[in-house]
Amino acid sequence: MHLSSGLELFPEFVVTQLLFKDVKNCAELRKMAMEGKIAGALINPSMVLDPFQTLLAANKAVHVQKIGKMKTRSLYSEIIFNLSPTNNISEAFKRFGISDNDNAVLIVLVHNKEEAYNKDDVLSKADGQQIPADQMSTLSDLAKIKKLYKVAPQEEKCGSVLDAVICRMAAKDVV
Amino acid sequence: MAEADGVSARSVPPYLREAELIKQGAEARVYRIRFLGKSAIVKERFPKRYRHHVLDEKLTRRRTAQEVRSILRCRKAGIAAPVVYFVDLSTNCIFLEEIADSITVREHIAAAQASGQSVESLHHLAEKMGRVLAKMHDEDVIHGDLTTSNMLLKPERSGDLPLLLIDFGLSFVSALAEDKGVDLYVLEKAFLSTHPNTETLFQKLLQSYTAASKKAPAVIKKLDEVRLRGRKRSMVG
Repeated sequence: MHLSSGLELFPEFVVTQLLFKDVKNCAELRKMAMEGKIAGALINPSMVLDPFQTLLAANKAVHVQKIGKMKTRSLYSEIIFNLSPTNNISEAFKRFGISDNDNAVLIVLVHNKEEAYNKDDVLSKADGQQIPADQMSTLSDLAKIKKLYKVAPQEEKCGSVLDAVICRMAAKDVV
Repeated sequence: MAEADGVSARSVPPYLREAELIKQGAEARVYRIRFLGKSAIVKERFPKRYRHHVLDEKLTRRRTAQEVRSILRCRKAGIAAPVVYFVDLSTNCIFLEEIADSITVREHIAAAQASGQSVESLHHLAEKMGRVLAKMHDEDVIHGDLTTSNMLLKPERSGDLPLLLIDFGLSFVSALAEDKGVDLYVLEKAFLSTHPNTETLFQKLLQSYTAASKKAPAVIKKLDEVRLRGRKRSMVG
């Protein structure tokens, strides 16, 4: 169900992604995350096309944490921030974080390779149906994604929408 | 010497220590690595010890950023270039998509010539190059290092043969016909010296460039000027 991926650049870390639909307690989850009771990033899955997109955001979050250049307060908020094409933090949380009346959530955890992370803890907190994380694209809102990342039709001639999204995420500190 | 070794060892990012080095240039080293489960290319701009370190850091960072910007600008216009996965500005490394199963235009032309194919069989490719470069110049991207080795062909199952531009390390943004003319001049020099007896092929490229861009006449006029004087402008007088 969940998807665990190693970070080659930071071999001590593993990123685990869990996807839920028909979630009834998004407001409660959001509150818990803000109070630091959930050690994970709660992401609005309609803004994500592929697990690779969130994996890149997590990789960059670990990278900026290591070099002491985080723009937000925690590793998990940094993951949400990295998904956004702009440098506006509150805008990033609004678009890529979850809202109280959402009914799906993608939870991204970063944990130590050895340390068994508390998956059961997360599973018990989310009141919804877990679905395979690689089915992320079934929940994504392509039109909204294209609009937010400003993907024009001509760009799709030389690559996928995912490619366009990834380039914007990678390039946002240099443009 | 011991000190120099220590410094260079420290400057290499840990993830590149065991990576496969595929190219070393004057500006950068290119490696192939695994990145988030994919095969990727890393371009590392290493520190140049003959420059003052503050200046070096500034120049290197600016070029790293410019390379990423130009790739994004091209892709937004529909010009194929590798996807940028990740930029590490602390070590000036760019992580790029690996274009698997591709060959350079240089290899393609050389193979065609070696197998005795007629120059006409390459006209289609030259026209495609002209169109892509016209589109790039219409976006005001100057590549800065156009050669047939910096263009890739990736055969697709559909039978398409898209042309990708790579190595935007010397690229910059400019609307000046002069800069575009020099860009084409650099390509012409590289093209004709790499591939003997291809003057008509390059003519085809320029024809298709002219047909594809409204701004082409001014650029071709500059190209003629640059041919007479060389790449650098005379600063006499």
